[in-house]
Amino acid sequence: MKRDRIIARAIDVKRKYALGGETVWALRGISMDIYEGEYLSIMGPSGSGKSTFFNMIGGLDKPTSGKVYIDHVDIAQLDPYELAWLRCRKIGYVFQTFNLIQVMSCIENVMLPMSFAGKDSEEARDEAMRILELVGLGNRPLHKPAELSGGQQQRVAIARALANSPDILLADEPTGNLDLKTGEEIIRLFRKLSDDLGVTVIAATHDLKMLKASDRIAWIDDGRLAKITTAEEVKIEVEEVK
Amino acid sequence: MENIGTQVSLPFSRAFQIALQGIRNRLGRSLVTMSGVMLGIAFLMCTITTQLIDKTVNRERKLRQTVNLMENVLKSEIGAVQGKRIAVAAFGAISESERTLIASIVAAGPVELRGYGVEAAGVTRSGAKDLAADASVVLIFGDSKQCPLSLAELTACMTRKLALDTRADRAFTGTPDPSIRRELFFGKQIEEQASKQRIEAQRERSRLIWIVAVSLCVTVIGVANAMLMSVTERFREIGTMKCLGALSGFIRTLFLIESALIGFTGSVVGAVSGALFTMLVYSFTYSFATVFLSMPYDRLVLAGMTAVVIGTILAMLAALYPARVASRMVPASALRSTV
Repeated sequence: MKRDRIIARAIDVKRKYALGGETVWALRGISMDIYEGEYLSIMGPSGSGKSTFFNMIGGLDKPTSGKVYIDHVDIAQLDPYELAWLRCRKIGYVFQTFNLIQVMSCIENVMLPMSFAGKDSEEARDEAMRILELVGLGNRPLHKPAELSGGQQQRVAIARALANSPDILLADEPTGNLDLKTGEEIIRLFRKLSDDLGVTVIAATHDLKMLKASDRIAWIDDGRLAKITTAEEVKIEVEEVK
Repeated sequence: MENIGTQVSLPFSRAFQIALQGIRNRLGRSLVTMSGVMLGIAFLMCTITTQLIDKTVNRERKLRQTVNLMENVLKSEIGAVQGKRIAVAAFGAISESERTLIASIVAAGPVELRGYGVEAAGVTRSGAKDLAADASVVLIFGDSKQCPLSLAELTACMTRKLALDTRADRAFTGTPDPSIRRELFFGKQIEEQASKQRIEAQRERSRLIWIVAVSLCVTVIGVANAMLMSVTERFREIGTMKCLGALSGFIRTLFLIESALIGFTGSVVGAVSGALFTMLVYSFTYSFATVFLSMPYDRLVLAGMTAVVIGTILAMLAALYPARVASRMVPASALRSTV
């Protein structure tokens, strides 16, 4: 794993929400560097600010104070058009609930972000086909999402996230709606993509299998970064508990 | 390092394609929304068609009433027309009711009709002098106020000098002769009744415009409500699209196109069914042929197209607010796992 280039950086990120007239600090100052090509898991109990931090890194939310850089660009400085561009090409999103467009076939789903990027041609179709093969679904490009199993749907979603060759793959509980076995397969796929394509994988998760596969784990608690550990350390901890 | 670019707007055709897929996906809901537009436009079309039918059918009905009245006046003066000789003199253009009366007298026959200035089937042409010889009555028709002949000339050689006129204000030459009776087909009462009916019809029309306006407002609110529900239901899909790089404007266009399509389809179905329904209902009262043959189809089609344009525009207006809500949805809403 190379650790020379920083792909995303958070500097003293704070975020507050107004909840019924009350101010709630979801993030109380997090600083962190994320390196290109690494597999990072974000871990934390619900209400810890994990989702908020995850959204910041993904360019889905802006901090109240502090800075978030994605590929050295301060996202607070971007206008909606530039943000859309960033989401389209720099980041690929994978959701817990897959979020495939139900009326579109697998290949159309993969081609959707390509058409948002202005690529709408035969080459785009070939590229989409190639990515579907990469995730192991090359044999059923014309199936509708409803005709596929959960694991297969998540593979299509990952293919869609990879459509515009993003630098970062952002996954929110990607195994949350899958059974044990398919969950493991998806984790292996993430690992493989991280190793082969050099894409940075950032995943918010509760899944222990996910933690074991990752290079680093960021533990978030009460709006702060509690610690950053490696997969080996987690393994040891888990064994200790056992 | 690559610089950040600006996301391009997608072409309209792509938005149209995706919107169409969206409608197909939620066909049931789209049909419900569509039926709202359909009902509103069908109601609008019903009233327009009713007006058009009334215009044609009313004319026919009025004509029938007028001729009926004239027949009664004639009958009260000379009794049954059969076997009699009747003279008809026309000055100026003959009205439809006058022509119909001649036809009905001919049809009632056997009767001898002699005409001066009248060209009609069953009427023998005659000069002014011997027109009224042995006739029971002289009918004076036409829209001309000035008659170039005198009543005495018109009723020459009649045993009982009687003239029936359709115009009260007609002036004859010569001095009036008290032995000649000139009666009128139409009294003053009829005129008054007609103007009263006109005022009533005017009132009825303005009432109708109000009802139509209110029903269209209800349609707009219904569509807006349905679209708003559709937006909240699709928060995840919208969020996902935004995560994949869709611009807010694209999402807004998507919903506007969807609503316009629903509005257009609903309006077309509503306009056709509204017009057909009204014409069929009227066919029960009047004859099928009267309604369907006398309908001015050019005006009906024009009204239908106007109704479709109105329906489409109203549907788009109704979608303005829901589309705004959708376009403002944050991408992070795609991450919410619960509905």
